[in-house]
Amino acid sequence: MFFHIVLERNMQLHPRYFGRNLRDNLVSKLMKDVEGTCSGRHGFVVAITGIENIGKGLIRDGTGFVTFPVKYQCVVFRPFKGEILEAVVTMVNKMGFFAEAGPVQIFVSNHLIPDDMEFQSGDMPNYTTSDGSVKIQKDSEVRLKIIGTRVDATEIFCIGTIKDDFLGVINDPATA
Amino acid sequence: MSVEPFNRLVKLAARAFYDDITTKGDNQPKTGRSDNRGIAVVVLDALTRRQWVREEDLAKDLKLHSKQLRRTLRFFEEEKLVTRDHRKETAKGAKIYSAAVAATAEGQRTAKEGEEKIKLHTHSYCCLDYAQIYDVVRYRLHRLRKKLKDELENKNTVQEYICPNCGRRYNALDALRLVSPDDEYFHCENCNGELVAESDKLAAQEGGDGDDNARRRRREKLKDMLQKMEVQLKPLMDQLNRVKDLPVPEFGSLQAWEARASAAGRPVNGDSSSNDPFKSSQGLGYGRTPMTFIGETKVEVAFSGVEGKEEDVKSETASSDRKVLPPWMIKQGMNLTKEQRGEVKQESKMDGISSAEFSDDKKSNDDVDNKSLQDEYVKAYYAALLKKQQELEEAAKKQELLHAPNSNGVSESLSNRQVGMKSKREEDEGEDDVEWEEAPTGGSTGESYKVNDLNFEAEASGEEEDDIDWEDG
Ligand SMILES: [Zn+2]
Repeated sequence: MFFHIVLERNMQLHPRYFGRNLRDNLVSKLMKDVEGTCSGRHGFVVAITGIENIGKGLIRDGTGFVTFPVKYQCVVFRPFKGEILEAVVTMVNKMGFFAEAGPVQIFVSNHLIPDDMEFQSGDMPNYTTSDGSVKIQKDSEVRLKIIGTRVDATEIFCIGTIKDDFLGVINDPATA
Repeated sequence: MSVEPFNRLVKLAARAFYDDITTKGDNQPKTGRSDNRGIAVVVLDALTRRQWVREEDLAKDLKLHSKQLRRTLRFFEEEKLVTRDHRKETAKGAKIYSAAVAATAEGQRTAKEGEEKIKLHTHSYCCLDYAQIYDVVRYRLHRLRKKLKDELENKNTVQEYICPNCGRRYNALDALRLVSPDDEYFHCENCNGELVAESDKLAAQEGGDGDDNARRRRREKLKDMLQKMEVQLKPLMDQLNRVKDLPVPEFGSLQAWEARASAAGRPVNGDSSSNDPFKSSQGLGYGRTPMTFIGETKVEVAFSGVEGKEEDVKSETASSDRKVLPPWMIKQGMNLTKEQRGEVKQESKMDGISSAEFSDDKKSNDDVDNKSLQDEYVKAYYAALLKKQQELEEAAKKQELLHAPNSNGVSESLSNRQVGMKSKREEDEGEDDVEWEEAPTGGSTGESYKVNDLNFEAEASGEEEDDIDWEDG
């Protein structure tokens, strides 16, 4: 799920950036530092949308670095158990398949793939129904439901299922 | 538009899902006396005999405290079984009251008087929403079944993997670390052995350790639960199938319903309620329409059908094509029905009284409402009454003897013989409070007044009502 929230971060800025463009430098450094990172608490920071407030800088003794407390608005993406996501298959093997929904990696184990889909090994390993009408392989787009998440301080990993109503392949690259 | 199959659906659902619902606030201690489980079923049953009803009137009919009733109704509103409507109405009674108050305390109240005169009172009305009930019950069953089945099929469980070499366990959340670039299997981080999915292993060796045993037990339990659910809720599911293609009774909004009811040209209040000082003082008097009568009559037959079959005593009144309820339902549900106005242990003497009153009542009502259904009902009723007359008197005598020790056991056995009559009496009571006040044969009218007062003061729970009925007789 996506959220638009306000986060705060202490930014350390090298003295060489001081000057007319201090603020711009601060913001671009913030973007570089924060976008694409993941925190267990808030999820993945997708994009910074605005700066709320930059506090007074504090000069560090000895180094000359200045610490600015920066409040910024950002869009975060945090997967939840029970959430339905659309994802792109990245790898298929005998144990199941991996898929990505943006920055999130999801594993769907073979017992959560419908029983009528069988694993076919080969150049392009895939899961296929007996009549061949539905095929899951690399780059397939699937709709899946998250049934478990592992949230570490800097990482979120999910496991999902496609064994439920309206889940499964939504766009097969082979036929597209 | 037949309401009966839907009413049966409501009753079955009430007993299946709301049997042990208690609407007490959490802060109140759940003592035996204030335990109001079963009230939910009573309220739903009462609503099946009505259409739109003013909640105050319903509370009075059920001899419940209006607060308690409101709490229950609010619960059902959240459960989407009941629609409610609130609106402001001028209440004559309130006006008279405030005028009286102003007269007694004239000096200080003059300023306030005018303000109070135009004060409107909010009255709440409620009605079963059959269309929604049908959907809600189906959805509930669907969720129940799905949840159990999902768990049974390990649908939403995290797959576990075991290394056959070193016994190390992993689960699907570790998958990212376990993939190997070389082949299509997961590999142990420890010894690089090929991991085996837990369920495969379980199938391979049925013996298993304690963990597996627990899992198997759980599976058994789930299977058992699913099976029990299918069996025990079968009547409910059958009823759902039965009403599937029937047109759903639709009463519309309160306003629409009222418009229709008055267009039908029936007097909104029979003389029954004009006898009632409390009711007639309530101004607009939307209390009940004769349509409710019809509904009640039908329902009444259903009840005596069930109970009559149970006993095989008075099957004349009980002649009905209804299926006998399964035993588990009779045990719980029927008890509750009798409890409806709190008289599981109701004396047969009460029956004598109320039936006499009932006939009075009927006479007066016949002038007002000549629906054929009702006539039929009266006929059937008289037949039963005649047949039972002697037995009733005898029972009444016995009851007098029993009255002093308040012995529950004995009276229960008596009431068992009177079940058919009793259900009738319940209906009467639900319909008209008048009987209570007329009560000529009982010779204890004063007492019943007092009792009613008590009822309003105290939190009226089912048990209390039991006591009241005892006193009444
Ligand atoms: Zn190992």
